[in-house]
Amino acid sequence: MNFSRGLAAAACVLALAPAALPPYAMTLLTEALILGLFAMSLDLMVGYTRLLSFGHAAAYGLGAYTCGNLLLHTGMPLLFAVPLAALFSGIVAIGVAWVCTLASGVSFSMLTLAFAQLFYAVAFKWTTVTGASDGLAGIPRSPGPFGIAIFAGKAGFYYLVLACLLGSLLFCRMLVHSPFGEVLRGIRENEAKTLSLGYNTRRYKIAVVAIAFALGGLAGALYAPFAGFANTELLFWLFSGQVLIMVIVGGAGTLVGPIIGAAFFMLVSNLLSSWTDSWALFFGLIFIGFVLFAPQGIWGLLSGTGRAEGRERVRWRFLKSTS
Amino acid sequence: MALLEIDELTRRFGGIIAVDRVSMRVEAGEVRAVIGPNGAGKSTLFNLITGVVKASDGSVRFDGTMLSGMSPYSICQHGISRTFQITALFPEMTARENARLAAQARHVRRWQPYGGSTVFGDAARRGDAALERLGLTHVAHRPAGLLSHGDQRLLEVAMALAQQPRLLLLDEPTQGLSVEETAQAVDTLATLLADRAMTVLLVEHDMEVVFRLAHMITVLHRGAVIADGEPDAVRADAEVQRAYLGGLA
Ligand SMILES: Nc1ncnc2c1ncn2[C@@H]1O[C@H](COP(=O)(O)OP(=O)(O)OP(=O)(O)O)[C@@H](O)[C@H]1O
Ligand SMILES: [Mg+2]
Repeated sequence: MNFSRGLAAAACVLALAPAALPPYAMTLLTEALILGLFAMSLDLMVGYTRLLSFGHAAAYGLGAYTCGNLLLHTGMPLLFAVPLAALFSGIVAIGVAWVCTLASGVSFSMLTLAFAQLFYAVAFKWTTVTGASDGLAGIPRSPGPFGIAIFAGKAGFYYLVLACLLGSLLFCRMLVHSPFGEVLRGIRENEAKTLSLGYNTRRYKIAVVAIAFALGGLAGALYAPFAGFANTELLFWLFSGQVLIMVIVGGAGTLVGPIIGAAFFMLVSNLLSSWTDSWALFFGLIFIGFVLFAPQGIWGLLSGTGRAEGRERVRWRFLKSTS
Repeated sequence: MALLEIDELTRRFGGIIAVDRVSMRVEAGEVRAVIGPNGAGKSTLFNLITGVVKASDGSVRFDGTMLSGMSPYSICQHGISRTFQITALFPEMTARENARLAAQARHVRRWQPYGGSTVFGDAARRGDAALERLGLTHVAHRPAGLLSHGDQRLLEVAMALAQQPRLLLLDEPTQGLSVEETAQAVDTLATLLADRAMTVLLVEHDMEVVFRLAHMITVLHRGAVIADGEPDAVRADAEVQRAYLGGLA
């Protein structure tokens, strides 16, 4: 099944969901799609550029707090506040990435974590903007422009989230298949060589972080009016770790995989948490299982199984031949 | 004015002086071999020219432009392409994609974040031509990491050629190749360089290869230039005999 036909089928099924599912399930599905968008945005960095971020919650939190403030204090319609918050997150990311890309490898990851923790600390202290430990509550889904109010309802908001997710997926696909995306692939496989071939690799990395933050910020911006609140948990390191797990379990470097990984994470954590309080432990075991036995992730297992395995073999032979 | 002008170039690593006040002039169209025993500083010299390593002292000028302090990517954009002593490729990409990505770097719209059929088309044409010149067309569809060692060495040369550089730096292109592979690679290189359209700096341990390809030779020993001139003169040089050639014979 080719991509566009599969996507059209998935979009149809998802579009029909409000007619078939009870309200409780719709709430879960909406949240799963928001998390899916969040995980997919991280995949641009992790899967396509091998930039391992331990602080992607920063993007989500930035989007959520910005959108929350716009909706609470400016009376701006939902349809304007959400993209504006995403844009803001992307712009802030340019500065973040500028600093983080001074380092590479583990140091890069540590710097991303440091930035997320910095935002977390600021969110705790800057009461007037973030509401400190109480967070922002009562975030409305303001209607407009021209009195458009359909997105305020449960189904309407779901369709807004679905449109954002599908639009972002198409955008990311375009990006990774473009000349720009080919350079990212070069950076992923051999950054020093890419630099020596005449590519300003640092600028490409800053660009991809900014795009990942804008889309991650979009997810956060949708979450604030979805949940009606934003709090410091959205910036917490635990959340950064969870979204990384969603990407890896779903299948890094596939875009679709992380969306499935997010849904899987939501499903399993909901099931497990109704069973046991230490559900995180069991999810950790599932994660370890994937890393050891199915590093290509759920999507890798579903679509052309041997592919990622073949890639490993390629890398292994190459390492042997150059050492 | 020479195409490449190196003046008093020096690089220290802690106590070691890897490159010691090296001065050199390379004329356009010249093929110059840089030879010397292991650890003489040949690769470090290449790294200094291409900005991979920063100079402690001295300067490099290319076609009148000061390269010192520039990043490797902008030096490459000035028309200098290189290969590495330790093969550097994109192992999961096919040979064709490797060459294409190298050629893409020369395209004005190399960063275009959408579409790309024009950019990829132009780049693939140049990449494929480079692969063909090095006789790699039959392995173009294979992942670079799965090629034989010899083909990997040649692929890296093809990638550099796909960039149509004005100055090409080759760091031991025949290293690890079998006798037949070396002979074939040298024939290929000789054909490529016959029209003198490209200026080449070549690090090579195999003296037969050096004497076959090079118009000029620079001999490095412990970081410093001990001889510089035409092949016959260098061969006859007593100091070179002692430091290098004699040691091998
Ligand atoms: N990054 C580095 N850090 C420390 N020392 C280095 C570094 N790079 C090179 N050197 C030292 O500089 C000297 C010159 O090394 P270089 O690799 O340039 O020699 P070479 O002429 O290319 O030798 P070979 O023929 O073995 O490739 C050596 O003593 C080496 O140990
Ligand atoms: Mg060397």
